[in-house]
Amino acid sequence: MSLYSAAIFGFNEYAHQIIKHAGLQYKNIAIFVISEEEKIAALQAGYSAELIDLSDDWDEIQERFSMQRLVVFCALADDAENVFLTISLRATFEHLHIIALAQNAESVLKMKSAGANKVLPSVEIAANIIFDMLEKPIVTRVLHSVIYEDNLLNVIEVKLGEDSFLCGKYLNDIYFRRDYDVILLGIVDQELGTSFNFASKGLNHHIDAGDILVVMGYQEKLDELIRVVRGENNG
Amino acid sequence: MNQWIVNFAYFLDSYAPYCKTKKFIYNILENNKYPYKKYFDYLMMLMVILSIYILIRHVKHEVSSSWVFFNNYIISLFFLCEYILRLWAYSNNSKIIIEQYESDLFLHRKFNLSAAIKTITKQKMAFIVSPAAIIDLLAIMPFFHEFRVFRVFILFRVLKIFRYAKGVQRLISILSSKRFELLILGMITMIVIVVSSVLIYVMEATNPKSPINTLFEAVYWSVVTIFTVGYGDIVPITPEGRVVAMLVIVSGIAVISFATSIVVSAFTEKLDEIKEDRLIDDVRGMERFYLICGYSNLTYAVVERFKKTNKQIIIVETDPVKIKQAQNEGMVVLNFDSASLHAYHSMQIHLDKQVIAVILLQESDVANIYTALTIRGLSKHVPLCSVLHSPKNRKKLSLAGIDQVVNPHELVGIISRRVGTQPVVVDVIHALQSGHGGTIVDEIVLDNDMSERFYELLLHPLFYRRLSMLGIYQTRLENFVFNPDSSFKIISGDVAIVVANHSLISEFRNLLHKKRVL
Repeated sequence: MSLYSAAIFGFNEYAHQIIKHAGLQYKNIAIFVISEEEKIAALQAGYSAELIDLSDDWDEIQERFSMQRLVVFCALADDAENVFLTISLRATFEHLHIIALAQNAESVLKMKSAGANKVLPSVEIAANIIFDMLEKPIVTRVLHSVIYEDNLLNVIEVKLGEDSFLCGKYLNDIYFRRDYDVILLGIVDQELGTSFNFASKGLNHHIDAGDILVVMGYQEKLDELIRVVRGENNG
Repeated sequence: MNQWIVNFAYFLDSYAPYCKTKKFIYNILENNKYPYKKYFDYLMMLMVILSIYILIRHVKHEVSSSWVFFNNYIISLFFLCEYILRLWAYSNNSKIIIEQYESDLFLHRKFNLSAAIKTITKQKMAFIVSPAAIIDLLAIMPFFHEFRVFRVFILFRVLKIFRYAKGVQRLISILSSKRFELLILGMITMIVIVVSSVLIYVMEATNPKSPINTLFEAVYWSVVTIFTVGYGDIVPITPEGRVVAMLVIVSGIAVISFATSIVVSAFTEKLDEIKEDRLIDDVRGMERFYLICGYSNLTYAVVERFKKTNKQIIIVETDPVKIKQAQNEGMVVLNFDSASLHAYHSMQIHLDKQVIAVILLQESDVANIYTALTIRGLSKHVPLCSVLHSPKNRKKLSLAGIDQVVNPHELVGIISRRVGTQPVVVDVIHALQSGHGGTIVDEIVLDNDMSERFYELLLHPLFYRRLSMLGIYQTRLENFVFNPDSSFKIISGDVAIVVANHSLISEFRNLLHKKRVL
């Protein structure tokens, strides 16, 4: 069970699907709605929802949740309201993890500017899947199964600690495939901000503490890798 | 005798070679949708151009007797055959006789052969008196160049060429939509010509110095003046005649303006239709494309995604606002109802041969199901992919024959499962799928004899650190083998899933298919 809680703003089909698929990932989930209609819809779907307005009074949320362990989903039906909600939350909680839904491509940039940590562009996601299903059906099937279904194969991200044996080494010195039976997809370099580099670009990256590795492999191999790179099994 | 005719009609109607030949002749002569008709049209146009060239050359030069023979007999004979075949294919005589016979039989009447012959004659006469058939008939006439007065018949051979040019047919159909206006214009012109001719004759003919001495000269002057040509070879010299001239000049401008406005308005009204026809012709010529039913934000995003490939996309939409939006984005849009069977016949799209897959992106499940059923009525095999708006309709879409369903709400839900705890993983997968950053995940289809080269190439310095092979999908077993080593045996049809730069994957593919490795 995760130590994180989730707060979902808005109740619609998107919110419903988030609860359905991601519900078990969180310790508890609270739903906040901005209209009576949404509240009724949530009740009819078997959830309890609390009515709020989008003013700056976030005391109740602050009291109920630990802000460091809260993930917020901004899933209001209207993109403009979602942007407003995102910017309101960011103005109040600097370190809150905010995930916002965008119905169109134009809103993605606005939501990022408003302070969302992650934007889910629903239309672009669907378009990508349609394209992949038709043009790369096998890739789509495999990746979907690996990423989103319970599977022995998995893709994970590992943040390197200060004492990781990888720190100070170059990427080309490590043979993930041969030595750990996992495939390194890419790395997020903390020195270069949060930009992501695909391992297949062939850059001989200098590994530092705080870098995030994205690796694919069987869960048992991944667990072993996590143990090794976190410095628990340096020998 | 009557019974013998009826029996013969039944025989012809059921005799496959006869029906097949007649259908072929009809298609090649009259059916614009028939793919081979254009070759026949080109041949006929060549004949006509050759014939006109011979006739024009013959006016002032000597033409060899063999060419004259070719023009007079061979080409004319060819035209005659074409005319007879058109007459034959125009209506189905045996069917008319059978219908008459069965009708009489049903009403317990004696078979009325004369009524059937009357109907046949009526139908054949409809062909004979049609302008195109008259031109055809007059264009057949040989020897007309022998007599000076008959040289005017060359006009019919010139006109005949237009029968085969689709653009000219379109022009005629546009102008024929303004038949009434053109008739009024013709009548006004006739009235002005007659009145002005009479007036100028009356005013000028009595003056011995005037060049207008006959009624023909008066008519000639009127026509030249009304149509604003004014050669100046014949001019009125009396003050009365000059007054008439001024009136005729003003009337002439009015007639020209009226004619111009009719033609312009005809073209303006038919502009969309012309564009649509042109578009249908273009689509008919396309080999493979995706067909998207419905334009929305999702359609725009899907088309944007396909832009990176060379795949062609055709959108079918009826909403004029959405059509305009899509056209402004440079998309190919056909204004048809995708749920209508008739629409696919009009669009002349061959679903099995031309369409890679149909993507249903209309804004309701009801519309998508309805369209899916229409398409399944036309093709059992064309892949159908649809957006799903309400999860409760998933089974209905499947029952309607839709192969793949995408529910944007569900996708967001599935992604949100990881995005809260592992956002980088989601970013990586999203970037790989969308190709942002130049790195993509792709499929490489393998065959038996590629095993050795495949593993050899993976270790090659060009690819070793820059191309990640995630695993091999065993198509037969529907199983994904992660990170296999070189002992894994590849079977034809297996698919390697690789991550790399697009051009590097292309190079890998090329080398894989070459016998010699770098």
